[in-house]
Amino acid sequence: MLLTDLQIAARNLVNHTRRNAILAAAVATVTALLVVLGGVTAGIRAAMFESATALLTGHVNVGGFFKITSGSGAALVSDFEKVLADARRVVPEIRFAVVRGRGYAKAISETQSVDQVLFGIDVRSEPVFREVVHLSAGRLDDLSQPGTVLLFEEQARQLGVHVGDALTLSAPTTRGVSNTVDVRVVAIASNVGILSSGTAFLPSETLRQLYQLKRSTTGAIMLYLEDPAAARRVAARLRGALASAGWRVMDADPRPYWEKLAGVKSEDWVGQKLDVTTWEDELSWLMWILKALQGLAGLLIGVLTVIVIVGILNTLAIAIRERTQEIGTLRAIGMQRTRVLWLFLLEAALLGTTGTIAGALAGAGISGLLNVAGIPMPEAAQTILMQRYLTLSVSFGTAAGSAAVIAAVTTFAALYPAWYAARLLPVTAMHHVG
Amino acid sequence: MGTIVSAANVSKDYKLGKTEVRALRGVSLDVHRGEFLAIAGPSGSGKTTLLNLIGCVDTPTSGTVNIDGRDTRSLSERALTDLRLHKIGFIFQTFNLVPVLTLYQNVEFPLLLQGGLGRAERRKRIEGLLEAVGLLDHARHRPSELSGGQRQRVAVARALVTRPPLVLADEPTANLDSLTGSNVIDLMREMNRRKGTTFVFSTHDPKVMSHASAVVRIADGLIVGREELNDIVAASGT
Repeated sequence: MLLTDLQIAARNLVNHTRRNAILAAAVATVTALLVVLGGVTAGIRAAMFESATALLTGHVNVGGFFKITSGSGAALVSDFEKVLADARRVVPEIRFAVVRGRGYAKAISETQSVDQVLFGIDVRSEPVFREVVHLSAGRLDDLSQPGTVLLFEEQARQLGVHVGDALTLSAPTTRGVSNTVDVRVVAIASNVGILSSGTAFLPSETLRQLYQLKRSTTGAIMLYLEDPAAARRVAARLRGALASAGWRVMDADPRPYWEKLAGVKSEDWVGQKLDVTTWEDELSWLMWILKALQGLAGLLIGVLTVIVIVGILNTLAIAIRERTQEIGTLRAIGMQRTRVLWLFLLEAALLGTTGTIAGALAGAGISGLLNVAGIPMPEAAQTILMQRYLTLSVSFGTAAGSAAVIAAVTTFAALYPAWYAARLLPVTAMHHVG
Repeated sequence: MGTIVSAANVSKDYKLGKTEVRALRGVSLDVHRGEFLAIAGPSGSGKTTLLNLIGCVDTPTSGTVNIDGRDTRSLSERALTDLRLHKIGFIFQTFNLVPVLTLYQNVEFPLLLQGGLGRAERRKRIEGLLEAVGLLDHARHRPSELSGGQRQRVAVARALVTRPPLVLADEPTANLDSLTGSNVIDLMREMNRRKGTTFVFSTHDPKVMSHASAVVRIADGLIVGREELNDIVAASGT
């Protein structure tokens, strides 16, 4: 019976080729657009993830705050080696871990000064950093020497410095005293969008020197997992385990560490508290980009989907009017109402599925072609989208999901006309003149 | 010989805009098993309305209709549909085949709705009927590839495929030329004789009426007479 139902649905669709082809094309267009826009968003998310997890955050971070007095506070982790050992013990999924200093200073050149977010790194133990940072001048290995700094092109331009030039970094220490260190620019890297706009890297030891910190103190421990998607789950487990091990651990708070610092300074406690975050927490300030893009895409898809729904309603209304006598005949010879409903839903589902499969394939194809074309992004867009070239990320799951959603919408849109057809009285339908 | 249809004091009113039309006015009719009964009358006399009520595609305003011993008033919409599927075959004036299905599939359709029969059994029954109506060679054709007479023969096969005890035909020859119409009536008559199926058909063509075992005359929504035209009753299978 299903085969016959499918044949009836398919042949009725083919019988009105032009009308249904236009509608299928509309369905395909919406699906293709959904796939492409989904690919753009996923591409940005992937680029953001790749860049950010190399530059700013691990998949999971164990950071924290140290307060000498209740009115002060700094983003520090003391005795980090013990913390790291505890973390390794409870998180076997760790692929590797890096230790980063965190700071904030004024960089002063001979002509200019700019505020900088500083990261203290040991460049020799940073495997991902090398993959993401592309140098336009200098040598990355030189960053292992004390008293050096890596800048991004934009900052170097603002400061008017080149490789080999000197800078002075000035920052208040944890005790509230201003301190300075002199550093030499050893590498200038290509910009990585908004992530690199105010960020500089220097050896951990030099950062400790600036802040007058002990060797056992750092800014954060960044953990890189076998499966980054497990970050939230791992963070929750780690939070509990560290607390059980005797560390004071802050409640989960999905904000980057620097947004929490002002609040921590006004809290009435002293000593060390650990703060476990995920990469999404640390990048929550950037998520508006994705949300805005998704919102725009959603709006566009929404409008087009409404057009498709109207098309489906109109097409099925015409089909039902044309086939009223047929419906009456089928009802007369013993077809139940539910089966009439099913027949029209099947027809809409078939049309929707054909359109969406074609659309998903077209969308995936267009995305592939755009990736191959390597379309350079305008500089302003690079800052926001963190991509030098437009890169779309389309997975089978995304394309299939998009197709399924639109196919479901087209079928759902057919519910009312199908219900109307099913409610037709056989006697009325049989004597209907089309 | 029992009755398969028993209509008692049946009336049917329609609303046509603001006007109320009395299509049937207290009609009573018994149809015996194996009859080949014609309902005759001019256009608008109520023939189709009476067939619709007997065929359970419409409900009377008052009165009762019993089909095969079941009072149709007591049946739900679903049960009425089931009754039509299992007890009644329909032949329409305008053939009403499903245009996108082949002849074979059109005849098969009621069997698929019924369910229960295997593919081989269905094939045997469908091919037997298509052979009986002379269209086995056209089994894979679509209705649009056939003449009116051929389509009506397919409709006869579709009406009979579930082996219903009752077949209703609303002016089955009205859209056919006289020779083709005569052939279709001959075919229905033969099925009536061979299988004992009760046929009730409407017509206003005297030639068609002459084939019937009995003619019920209807005018202005009332039965005005019943004539037994011959003694041939097919219930015994003679």
